[in-house]
Amino acid sequence: MRVMRNTKGQMRVIETILASFIFFSALTFANMLAVLPSSPKYEISDLERMGHSVFHDLDEQGILSRFVYNETEWGELAFALMIVFQPDVYFDLTIYEVHTQDQPINQHFPIRFGAPEVFTASDSTASVSYILPGQQAEYSPRILILQLVRG
Amino acid sequence: MRIVRNKKGQFILIAVMMIAIMIVSIGAVLHSAGTYYRYEQWEEYITLVEHIKFNTIRLVEISLANFTTCGNNSTGMHAYALRMYNSTLKDNLNQWQNDLRTAYPGYGVILAYELADGTNIDYFQGFASKWDETVSYSTANATFALNITSVGLTGFRFMATPLLSLAIVNASASTDEIIVAVTQEDEMPVLKLERDNFQVDGLNVTNVASSYDPDYVLVYTIKCDSNIPAAVTVRVRDHRGIQVIARSG
Repeated sequence: MRVMRNTKGQMRVIETILASFIFFSALTFANMLAVLPSSPKYEISDLERMGHSVFHDLDEQGILSRFVYNETEWGELAFALMIVFQPDVYFDLTIYEVHTQDQPINQHFPIRFGAPEVFTASDSTASVSYILPGQQAEYSPRILILQLVRG
Repeated sequence: MRIVRNKKGQFILIAVMMIAIMIVSIGAVLHSAGTYYRYEQWEEYITLVEHIKFNTIRLVEISLANFTTCGNNSTGMHAYALRMYNSTLKDNLNQWQNDLRTAYPGYGVILAYELADGTNIDYFQGFASKWDETVSYSTANATFALNITSVGLTGFRFMATPLLSLAIVNASASTDEIIVAVTQEDEMPVLKLERDNFQVDGLNVTNVASSYDPDYVLVYTIKCDSNIPAAVTVRVRDHRGIQVIARSG
């Protein structure tokens, strides 16, 4: 008799489980459809990763140091970067001599894609640095600072 | 009476709710554990390690190129002495350690190095060379340990052992051709060398052609503008700028 009476609460339990299931299913479904705002943190790390990969790939192919150490080829370097980055990524590359870092050595020849204001106005500007030891028999390290912004 | 009886199910409801909360909590923990590696910048760190390794090896090559250029215009013991007491590699690596810290502030990059000394081919401060022989070489040997304290990476070890070897295979005085084999690390033949990469003392090089050889895989035939002497000196400089001088006879 006692067992029979207790069975009356079972439906409530099942109801509760079903309600919980529907509730969490709805949450999951809503989360799938929701367009979340892009996080500046993840956006920057994504651009940084892209910048590191591009430097590494160009360097492994041996063309990065050739471009950086030959001023006549800086135009080619800008062109190469435009090719390897996605069209909506703006970049600004500055080259410094390690031991005279006050002014970039390419200050009169900006290696850039996009207006300068794009980099100052953006909240999520990624910055990647890279160092090259030199060329041929000469140790003359140069630091490359690459700023990236998604348009 | 009915209300009183229904009160008995309340504990079960509370228990079910608690179980639901527990399931959701565990789900949240599992989700954060599964996505942790996606948001951590591992790829960036791996690229950084690869970059430091790649350019450190290149620095050893640059230093070896500098070492082999030293005393280029000198001969015999004087050239040997100039090379022997060359500390370019040590000086460059000391600077490189500081420059890495300048280039990557905040990462905690610490690069330790050890230069080969002695061993079976007489390294001195990381360099060794044997020139003016039929088979000559220039080489360097350094071992590195990289720490990046910001990500807890310690003791990542790698070696730099650039080598350029030149063997005079055939240089008979009656002809105007010299056949040489040029190899690098792991006895791999050096490809794409051209006329500008070779020099023959006292003669002008008119043409350089490469061909297959069963012993050396690849040999270069250096054609000169006149018949070669009994003892001939050949110089080769590869794309890295490393030089070797070999002498026949």
